[in-house]
Amino acid sequence: MTSKNHSIQSGLKLWFAIYLFFSANILLAETEQEQAMQTPVNELHDALINIMKSGGSSSFEDRYSIMEKVITKKFNTPLISRVVLSRYWNSLDEKAQTDFIDLFNRLTISTYVSRFDSYDGESFKYLSTESMKKDRFLIKTELLRADDDPVSFNYIVQIDAGQWKIISVIANGINDLSLKRSEYSSVIEEQGFESLIASMREKISDLQPKRAQ
Amino acid sequence: MTGSHFFCLSKHLILIGILSIAAGCATTQTPDSTAGNSDDIESANRVFFDVNETLDKHLMKPIAEAYVDMTPKVVRTGVTNFFDNLKYLNVIFNDFLQGKFTQGVNDSLRFVFNSTLGIGGVFDVATNDMRLEKNDEDFGQTLATWGFDEGSYLYIPLMGPNTVRDVTDQVPSTFLNPFFYVTSTILFPISALDAVNKRANLLEASNLRDEAAIDPYSFTREAYLQQRDYLIYDGNPPVSGYDDIFSEAEDESGGVLIIE
Repeated sequence: MTSKNHSIQSGLKLWFAIYLFFSANILLAETEQEQAMQTPVNELHDALINIMKSGGSSSFEDRYSIMEKVITKKFNTPLISRVVLSRYWNSLDEKAQTDFIDLFNRLTISTYVSRFDSYDGESFKYLSTESMKKDRFLIKTELLRADDDPVSFNYIVQIDAGQWKIISVIANGINDLSLKRSEYSSVIEEQGFESLIASMREKISDLQPKRAQ
Repeated sequence: MTGSHFFCLSKHLILIGILSIAAGCATTQTPDSTAGNSDDIESANRVFFDVNETLDKHLMKPIAEAYVDMTPKVVRTGVTNFFDNLKYLNVIFNDFLQGKFTQGVNDSLRFVFNSTLGIGGVFDVATNDMRLEKNDEDFGQTLATWGFDEGSYLYIPLMGPNTVRDVTDQVPSTFLNPFFYVTSTILFPISALDAVNKRANLLEASNLRDEAAIDPYSFTREAYLQQRDYLIYDGNPPVSGYDDIFSEAEDESGGVLIIE
């Protein structure tokens, strides 16, 4: 083997090593990013399993408190409220917007606590992640049930002030964000914004006694 | 074809004709821009929705709840399997129309095994023992894969949510149901059982809707239309569709979603 061949071979090895190093780092970074964006979904799932398991023994207030921590921190409720109210958002003053975000947050928590109230061996399974526009990602999971078909639970996540947060939940193809936007628009158009607020308060109130029983 | 069959088919065709014309005539009305779906005859739909809800509240739902209370789950599963199997020829027909040949062959085997080893479809041996998964296809989905728009949203008395495109499924699903070719008074109690069992299977979903919905009409429409998209794409709708709602909100706020 000539010295020229030897140096070419050494050069190739060096480039291959550099390539491997950067590839590994890129992969590692991608894995870390994927794990980070899954964090809010995993925390939500853990909390849901928790409140399902304690459905028969814990009080409504205790289970509400568990969900409140997760939803307040891991859902971007201000952004969700803005999207759900669509063009009506801009017609609200700052106080009305803040009040709506708070009310929407309470309704979301109440709905989760009411819906996930018993446990029968359910578990969540991660399936895949797909990228969307503007650094949004779709995280696909499913809820496995003992004697029934799995329910698809997909989440859209986006980074907000350095934290990955859930901005939409899609259950078996039904997008909660679109559903609420359609409903709320209809109520505002026909009965006005104050009527929507009254209906949301009434809904929260309706959910509470049922859960407390 | 017997007189009763002819009447049954005519009823479906007339229904489709009237609804198509009604929807066509109504396209000059302002569509619901907020929902993103065409509900051109919303006022008529809401009337039918209220009628159905009243009938359901006072008749169908109490009967379905009593049926659930009195019937063990294993029996209800058998009843569901039986009626699903009868309707499965329509699934197979639409598999092939959509070019899903492997799925069509598997679904044909499903139908044969469930009809024979599964004792008339009561036991779903194909899913449980042969790993032949159940599929959900209909003529509305076939038309969607062929490029037809969904057309106007329709809320049909006794049938519930639908669209002009989806209601066309009434023709093949009627012709391909073996019961269509049976003439007997036993059809009436069997049809009643089918209706009650179907309503019983929807109790969980309807209770969930009643619990969550602020405007049940809009909730039902949006959930139905989204569920149909989900079925058309066999559970994997394009991710880009989920971006639309954010893009619209960004347009309304001048390009960026700024949340203080």
